[in-house]
Amino acid sequence: MTLLEKMDRVVYATGIDRILFRKMKPRTLRWTPLLVIVVLIGGYVLMAKTENVLDSDFWIGWLLFYGAFLAAAFLRALGPRFTATVLHPLDERELTVRARAHAVSGTVLATLAMFGCFYMAIPSIPGIWHPHATYDWINLGFGVQAGGMLLPTLIASWMEPDPIPDDED
Amino acid sequence: MTLYNRIALFRTERGVSRRELAEAVGVNNQTIGYLERGDYKPSLELAMKIAAYFSVPIELLFSFRPFESVADTLRRAAAAGE
Repeated sequence: MTLLEKMDRVVYATGIDRILFRKMKPRTLRWTPLLVIVVLIGGYVLMAKTENVLDSDFWIGWLLFYGAFLAAAFLRALGPRFTATVLHPLDERELTVRARAHAVSGTVLATLAMFGCFYMAIPSIPGIWHPHATYDWINLGFGVQAGGMLLPTLIASWMEPDPIPDDED
Repeated sequence: MTLYNRIALFRTERGVSRRELAEAVGVNNQTIGYLERGDYKPSLELAMKIAAYFSVPIELLFSFRPFESVADTLRRAAAAGE
């Protein structure tokens, strides 16, 4: 068996193909994205308050933050359907949910960015934290990206009514 | 405004599953379930597709006023026959 064949088998054995090819039934995730957002913020705060990157707190924060980032990507694939496939195109209801979820999410992120700009404009006052190191900005960028993945999933999950059991299952 | 429908009644009467109806009108079967439960209002296109599938006028399937129950309809029909 060649290396590529082995890698292919691993994909199917781990079930990653079910996520990649969207074979899983979409589910409403009403609380998990909130938990991930809390972990994301917690991880960022832990990294930001530690000045020294060699400090263990920094690395705990790093693990929490990037673990939450990875979870955000997975939750997007597991939550309400946002991507059409050849076998399962999005119907009119799913397209409406997707459009509304992204519109609300975009408004929330734009509002946060606006307040972020106002906050950054506050001159340096002792006790007020501003991102200053390069990694502060890089992590903040990834944080916004994670928010952009999590918010539509969270909003769409709250917009979706409770699922109805399939009458052919 | 509430939009009432009798999709579940027509579906049961014709022995059609949600999945069959969903495939016939080109939507997800959960969407049919949400329609039946009143959680979702269909577009005019979808409403007309469902009416065409059952070969009935659209007003027999959808209404802004609650539909008469099957028991009441039968009772009225029986009274009219007597």
